[in-house]
Amino acid sequence: MFGHRIKIDDELFDNIKKCVALAGYSSTGEFVTHVLEREVQRLLGSSGQGPESEEELRKRLQGLGYIE
Amino acid sequence: MIPRPTSRCRVNLLWRLAAGFLSLLAFGVVLLACGRSAGVQRKLIVLGLDGMDPELLGRYMDEGKLPNFARLAQQGGFRRLGTSIPPQSPVAWSNLITGLNPGEHGIFDFIHRDPKTLLPYLSTSRVEPPKRALRLGPWVLPLSPGRVTLLRERKAFWEILDGHRVPAVILRMPANFPPVESESRTLAGMGTPDMLGTYGTFAFYTDVPPAGAERISGGRVYPVRVAEFRVAAQLVGPYNTFRRGEPPATVDFAVWLDPTEAVAKLAVQEQEFVLREGEWSDWVVVEFTLIPHLETVSGICKFYLKQVRPVFQLYVSPINIDPARPALPLSTPEAYVRELQEKTGYFYTQGMAEDTRALSAGLLTDAEYVTQARMVWEEQRRLFLLELGRLQGGFLFGYFSGLDQNSHMFWRAFDERHPAYTPQTAAGFARLLEGQYREMDELLGEVMARLDADTTLLVLSDHGFAPYYRSFNLNTWLLERGYAALRLDRPRPADFLANVDWSRTRAYGLGLNGLYLNRRGRERDGIVPPGAEAEALLEEIAQELLAVRDPATQRPVITRVDRAAQVYSGPHLADAPDLLIGYNRGYRAGWGTVLGGFPGVVLEDNREVWSGDHCIDFNLVPGVLLSNRTIRADAPTLLDIAPTILAEFGIEKPPGMPGQSLFAPRPGR
Repeated sequence: MFGHRIKIDDELFDNIKKCVALAGYSSTGEFVTHVLEREVQRLLGSSGQGPESEEELRKRLQGLGYIE
Repeated sequence: MIPRPTSRCRVNLLWRLAAGFLSLLAFGVVLLACGRSAGVQRKLIVLGLDGMDPELLGRYMDEGKLPNFARLAQQGGFRRLGTSIPPQSPVAWSNLITGLNPGEHGIFDFIHRDPKTLLPYLSTSRVEPPKRALRLGPWVLPLSPGRVTLLRERKAFWEILDGHRVPAVILRMPANFPPVESESRTLAGMGTPDMLGTYGTFAFYTDVPPAGAERISGGRVYPVRVAEFRVAAQLVGPYNTFRRGEPPATVDFAVWLDPTEAVAKLAVQEQEFVLREGEWSDWVVVEFTLIPHLETVSGICKFYLKQVRPVFQLYVSPINIDPARPALPLSTPEAYVRELQEKTGYFYTQGMAEDTRALSAGLLTDAEYVTQARMVWEEQRRLFLLELGRLQGGFLFGYFSGLDQNSHMFWRAFDERHPAYTPQTAAGFARLLEGQYREMDELLGEVMARLDADTTLLVLSDHGFAPYYRSFNLNTWLLERGYAALRLDRPRPADFLANVDWSRTRAYGLGLNGLYLNRRGRERDGIVPPGAEAEALLEEIAQELLAVRDPATQRPVITRVDRAAQVYSGPHLADAPDLLIGYNRGYRAGWGTVLGGFPGVVLEDNREVWSGDHCIDFNLVPGVLLSNRTIRADAPTLLDIAPTILAEFGIEKPPGMPGQSLFAPRPGR
């Protein structure tokens, strides 16, 4: 329910709060999660998060009769 | 992650807010359609018969088995229709749709790859999840909509017809999901996913799962327990993106087995029905709850009671998007698919509906598959005849998938040279394809009976067909020739180019006909510098590929290799495979190599039931073209179809469209 805690210095946290207000996020948590998700996706590739999403990719492709 | 709950959410919201306006809207659409057709008396009908082969068509015509095709050929002509490079359906139909080459429309194969991740994806559409979401305990509420995007670019010919107020109906056109915005009535076809976001995932429930069940492709086997003549199981639906972790939404169902008879009663939500062993259900509507009391999504599926005892076996079709409550856009206008459902009943909405994967897995027999494919054909026929009956003026396109899918699956039934040929299969199904050509002939007869002086008819296919005897594993060949390298510290990869040592790999294969260089500046870890070195490498590989001989037959495995830069032009040229490999008749890219695997041998027999194919040298698998008007072109290609359609309505083709009308101009134009 409460997930993990990450330490952020005060100055960055203040800026995050400004971004939350500017961009219309409902909370700092939502903003931070969104930014991190975007970065994780960029680093791990457009398909998502590694082996699990490769399995999803495989499922999506498998209905195509031309492949196994 | 299909369907996007956000889309559903928005659709529902619109429903709620605009319910009172819907009938007015529908009335307006009818008025508009009438208004648009009132000024257009000329009619053009195109029958798109995927995979109809000119050799087989000619043979059956010569044998007097296809009287309507023979009559049509006599009226206007019968030509081989030049197909696309490569001759794959999404590419071929995109050429037809746009009148342009793949460098313009951007579709080069069933499967493309992202050069930065080197992961494959289906080429014609992309699903993007919502970018923002609110998380509340186990619930995740999307704050921005997800998107499904058609990746085929450039104008479809019916968009040009729209601009000239020519009414058009486009039924199940491939490579048009989600359907491009249009004033025409269009229904999406090949490329449309099922409710799981796949090209079709069947389910199979049994108390004795077959060996290797976990490796079955295109379907899932669910072990169940028969207890006191009852089976309790779940239909597994779309991922519930409203819930944290996105678990699949499910629907419980129960089966009561008759203690003595081969009969069972099934109960799914509020619906109960009885099936005998060997019987198919009608379409069953299932509602998946995403947020209790607030949000549901609807799908349809068919149940087939394969066996009651001694082993319980129940097949359930892929869960299709419900045409009555579509979770994703299936048509233009959006209400059109609902209208079709109301008028003709439920129908498969997934792009390729014949369940070839269940047959390949051995979970449906040949006869069971034929029954299922026949249901698909009947639905497609019903939709087409509805629109044929109300065609007053303008354009009508109808697509039929059965010849293509059954040619893939039953080539082994009449070709004794095929490794999967058996006398038993031949005894039951050697004439299956011929029978289907005859059914097409009957449909053609119905169409021809309605032709008048103002109506032009075109019958065409996107490609022909060939046997698929032997597999060529391109990546394994590249590995053996030193063009690719694997990391020695890891096991041989099964697919997705895993464990490739990119620092020593200059070329790799992906898709059914594509070879890519590992180019510096394009691929994530590219090493081949652009310019002269890349050009020399392409030439070297092309020559070596053309020299490959099958040790079993001494035949060339590859008869043609095209350089993308020489056969394509346009803004997407840089996305194309560098080489397009044209396999000889009888050969195809191996099963393991298509998704970037490295099977153990370069050449091997194809013993699969998927025994015919067309992803080869495009010169060897032309399509067919027939018309009731005299075809003046000696060597027509798919690129001539869009200009022909436009010319029939007096519309000049746009600049850059290279094809020509098949017909002489009408007098007075």
